[in-house]
Amino acid sequence: MADNKKKSNALTNNALVKKIGGQQLVVILVMIALFIFFCVASESFGQYSTIVSIMDFSYYVTFIAIGVTFALMTGGNDLSIGTGMVCYSLIGGFLISKLGLPVGVGMIVTILCGMLMGTLNGFLVAVLELPPFIATLCTMMIVRGLGSIITGGVSLSWPAADAANGWFRSFFKMTVGNTKVPVGVVWIILAVIIMSIILTKTKPGRYIIAIGSNKEAARLSGVNVIKWHMLAYIICGFFTGLAGIAYAGTFQTLTPGTGAGLELDAICAAIIGGTSMYGGQGTIVGTLIGVFLMCILKTGLPYIGLQANWQQIIIGMVLILAVLMDVLRTKKRA
Amino acid sequence: MEKFKQNPIVKKIGFNRLILIGVLILMYLAFGLFCSLMGRATFFNISRLYSAFNYTYFLGFLALGVTFVIGTGGIDFSMGPVMFCSALISGYMLTKMNIPVVLAILVSALVGTLFGLFNGYLVAYWKMPSFITSMASMMLAKGIGSVFTKTQSVSWPSSMEANGWYRNLVKIPLGGGLYIPTGLVILAIAAVICATVLNNTKAGRYILCLGSNKEAVRLSGVDVKVWETLAYVICGMMAGIAAIFYVGAYTTVQPGLGDQFNNEAIASCVMGGTSMAGGVASIGGTFIGVLIISVLQEGILAMGFQKDYQYVITGIIVLVAVYADIRSRKRRN
Amino acid sequence: MGEVILTMKGIDKSFPGVHALDHVDLEIRKGEVLALMGENGAGKSTLMKVLTGIYKKDEGTITYEGKEVEFENPSAAQDAGVVIVHQELNMLSHLTVAQNIFIGREIMKGKLIDDEKMNEEAKKLFDKLNIEIDPKEIMGNLTVGKQQMCEIAKAISHDAKVIIFDEPSAALTEAEIEELFKIIRDLRDKQIGMVYISHRMDEIKAITDRVTVMRDGTYVGTLITKDSTKDDIINMMVGRVIYEDPKTESAVPKDAPVVLKVENLNAGKMVRNVSFELRKGEILGFSGLMGAGRTETMRALFGADEKDSGDVYINGKKVDIKCPQDAVKEGIGYLSEDRKRYGIVVAKSVAENTSMATMENFMNGLFINKKKEEEVSWQHVKALKTKTPTVETEVVNLSGGNQQKVVIAKWLTRDCDILIFDEPTRGIDVGAKSEIYTLMNELVAQGKSIIMVSSEMTEVLRMSDRVIVMCEGRKTGELDISEATQESIMHLATQRD
Repeated sequence: MADNKKKSNALTNNALVKKIGGQQLVVILVMIALFIFFCVASESFGQYSTIVSIMDFSYYVTFIAIGVTFALMTGGNDLSIGTGMVCYSLIGGFLISKLGLPVGVGMIVTILCGMLMGTLNGFLVAVLELPPFIATLCTMMIVRGLGSIITGGVSLSWPAADAANGWFRSFFKMTVGNTKVPVGVVWIILAVIIMSIILTKTKPGRYIIAIGSNKEAARLSGVNVIKWHMLAYIICGFFTGLAGIAYAGTFQTLTPGTGAGLELDAICAAIIGGTSMYGGQGTIVGTLIGVFLMCILKTGLPYIGLQANWQQIIIGMVLILAVLMDVLRTKKRA
Repeated sequence: MEKFKQNPIVKKIGFNRLILIGVLILMYLAFGLFCSLMGRATFFNISRLYSAFNYTYFLGFLALGVTFVIGTGGIDFSMGPVMFCSALISGYMLTKMNIPVVLAILVSALVGTLFGLFNGYLVAYWKMPSFITSMASMMLAKGIGSVFTKTQSVSWPSSMEANGWYRNLVKIPLGGGLYIPTGLVILAIAAVICATVLNNTKAGRYILCLGSNKEAVRLSGVDVKVWETLAYVICGMMAGIAAIFYVGAYTTVQPGLGDQFNNEAIASCVMGGTSMAGGVASIGGTFIGVLIISVLQEGILAMGFQKDYQYVITGIIVLVAVYADIRSRKRRN
Repeated sequence: MGEVILTMKGIDKSFPGVHALDHVDLEIRKGEVLALMGENGAGKSTLMKVLTGIYKKDEGTITYEGKEVEFENPSAAQDAGVVIVHQELNMLSHLTVAQNIFIGREIMKGKLIDDEKMNEEAKKLFDKLNIEIDPKEIMGNLTVGKQQMCEIAKAISHDAKVIIFDEPSAALTEAEIEELFKIIRDLRDKQIGMVYISHRMDEIKAITDRVTVMRDGTYVGTLITKDSTKDDIINMMVGRVIYEDPKTESAVPKDAPVVLKVENLNAGKMVRNVSFELRKGEILGFSGLMGAGRTETMRALFGADEKDSGDVYINGKKVDIKCPQDAVKEGIGYLSEDRKRYGIVVAKSVAENTSMATMENFMNGLFINKKKEEEVSWQHVKALKTKTPTVETEVVNLSGGNQQKVVIAKWLTRDCDILIFDEPTRGIDVGAKSEIYTLMNELVAQGKSIIMVSSEMTEVLRMSDRVIVMCEGRKTGELDISEATQESIMHLATQRD
């Protein structure tokens, strides 16, 4: 028993393990195991096209997951990201397809909508001090309604890849010869690097962590907690806007009123990746790893005959396990 | 104003609840006015009222249930999908396995209760945050309902069919488009029972007290975990019962839906004066809140708008109600 | 002897119902450690909070470096060079040591935080103080002692000229205290003025130059440490005041039956091998300084916190108390020292609070018999002279003393034979206090037994039949009331191993 403990201590103290983080390492191992499992269980899983569809999945989830990591970092949450992503994407798409505005404008509006909602969330949480989950639940309802009010309740799509305005789709997937190249990976890597730097190397990031760790101590140290607390939600909104573009770029049709539940994928990914719901702890890289675990799981389940309904059950279970781990981990620290 | 507030009748009903009733009446009149201004069919129509009531029944049960959970300071985001899951499983057993209707109703309540037990156990015994726990069980409920019915929607028998008697629980047709709104009677009875449980039994007392100060209740030698779990169990059971009134009014349930009802039920509660911080709950307020939401949704339909406006309005209602609650508590301390 | 850097003169501060500071003087000199001593509630912490801008003073002047100052808030004081190292730490447990030290004033390289440089600076700081801490370590992973060192380092990095240590040693081990003293001596050599608040006599002797003693919110006097003995200081702390009718002999016969026996109770760091007996009809006083582990002992006994080991016997029968329910079933009632958090449900009525622990007595089948509940509550309200308009009044509207009476009523309805009163009169005005004393005497006369934890010497000497003194989680002595004096109790309360 004691020997075992020593061993595990030795392992956790290993420089490389420390660098990556014990939990992340476990998640990576689980991810690889999962991938191998799906490959063995289904011959068609281990193909290039599957990898492309995993990547397709991952873009928007990564963006909202990065965003919500910032909200979680402050000890809060953002439930409006799933519905919001679809809503902002609908608004952008409406401008492009119905009003004939350039795609660039549509993209900018999508992001701006996200930031606007993020500001509202930040105001409700940081200034009015509403509980984050209830404040963002309300904005989730609001954006859900707004998206479909603005588009008149009908589905719409952003320009297709072969249409004149379809160039934005090649941000995410390029066709070279007959192969589809998931170039969106570049954006993901870029976003992860930039946001990692912001979180760990700049004042905003530092103060966001400080707020999640001990808001009162941060305030007493002269940190403007309200401003930085709001910023976390604005960042979250910005990434929800980005996710909206990625969502439009990946899927052909956008349906008003959808998107609820996607926030749980993102929150689950972040928590699996080591971000604590109690704030102050987490990394962007961890979130990315969590996202890929979720994406492999979600893409792989149909290959072993488990359709969307089973996906929900399994993701629900994974979410409970992830939160339980977080609860126990936090308890141990205290 | 102060004098009015001190009036014994006003005091008995509660000033805030009187305002709510006023809002309800004004809203009803306003919708009538708008409908006629917009040249639409009149809102003051008995069939509109029946239609609004259809919404009241199931939402009422959901809201009554979640009042207990919010009373403990928790939240339940799973009850809408749980209601659908209960209706799907029991409906599937009723139509495909030919179990008696009574049994189907019991199954429905049981499924809801089990979900409540699951939520309550995780929250009370494992100290998991209730909002994320119930969101996870929301996914479970959607998935399980869908798996059970093999992703098919389920239609409960219509009133013409042999097993259709259960619809009398919702309304009894008198012919000529008139009905006895039995659902309203049953809901009112349920509300009275819930109010009694909340205010006059040990369970209700402990649920509200632990919502206010869990540690003090625990140190008084009370097994707080049991009572906290019970609140979720009640909520789940009510969702299971709500399922019967949903299918009684709308017949068909589809897998994978139901989340918007969470929000509306929560909105009914907080509007009615139940505090999100726990410890304070009003069944009467919840009941009026449910009526307001029902009239709101019917009015929006009557004016020819999409249901989406209702999401927006519900969202804003909850924001305002929660903010008002936080403000008033801050002022008191 | 260094020159004076900070003077507080005639500082006066009142809170509703309490005159916390009554024209107190204090003088801090460069390169000197000033001990600030006094019993719990003497006003030491309040004085320091006034100094660092947490409280506003009502009267008096603060002169710092020759100029009169009044700090708006702790960060203004910090900027001026007056810093306080709190007893409870203000740290960001998820950030690294260096990040904590520089929070709010990060060293930047362009737009990015220069963590390298901050680590270096922190390292330099630690080197200067001869502390061995890795600046890159996560704060939450450090021991409490090391965290305290970091707080000190942070204070010094603000170019502090005056540092206040508020009971810094409370959570430190022997070795850590040694390390702390080394740092303090070092700082003294660097001409920094320091205030050291502590209850531990030997520390005061070891590290301080002068001792200022406070009592009941007033300034008593200042001694040169090396010229005075432990007894001198204790005498100043307790004063020569004759307290109101102290009990001179125990009212309990020596052979009264033992109702509660605790053997070798252990729980965490704060309860170590505590054993004691409680006799029928006795008030057993638990005395000691703040952080002596008295409350923790009671909580472990009551099952509110987990205990590691130890046996409890009630009326000679061994009982297994795992949670408060078990304790209540065995007839123990517990009045917590923190009423608002652990005693009452503030948003509920007097009646609801009264019946909380005895719901089953008020049931009429499935339903609560509210009439009976109200009647019984009224009886208690009358018997305890609780001032409340009705029993439906929410407890939040009552004063502290009346809230306490509601909590007492809760346990009286339970008819507990053993009552634990943890600081029963804390924050209660004089009138209500004596009512609670009368009540306690009535209760023991009825054959109940009371354990009373109290930090007030007067209270202990007036109420107890026997006194148990604790220090740092251990029982350091047991005195019959006939042999207990303030001095003897204080000696035991400061007896460290």
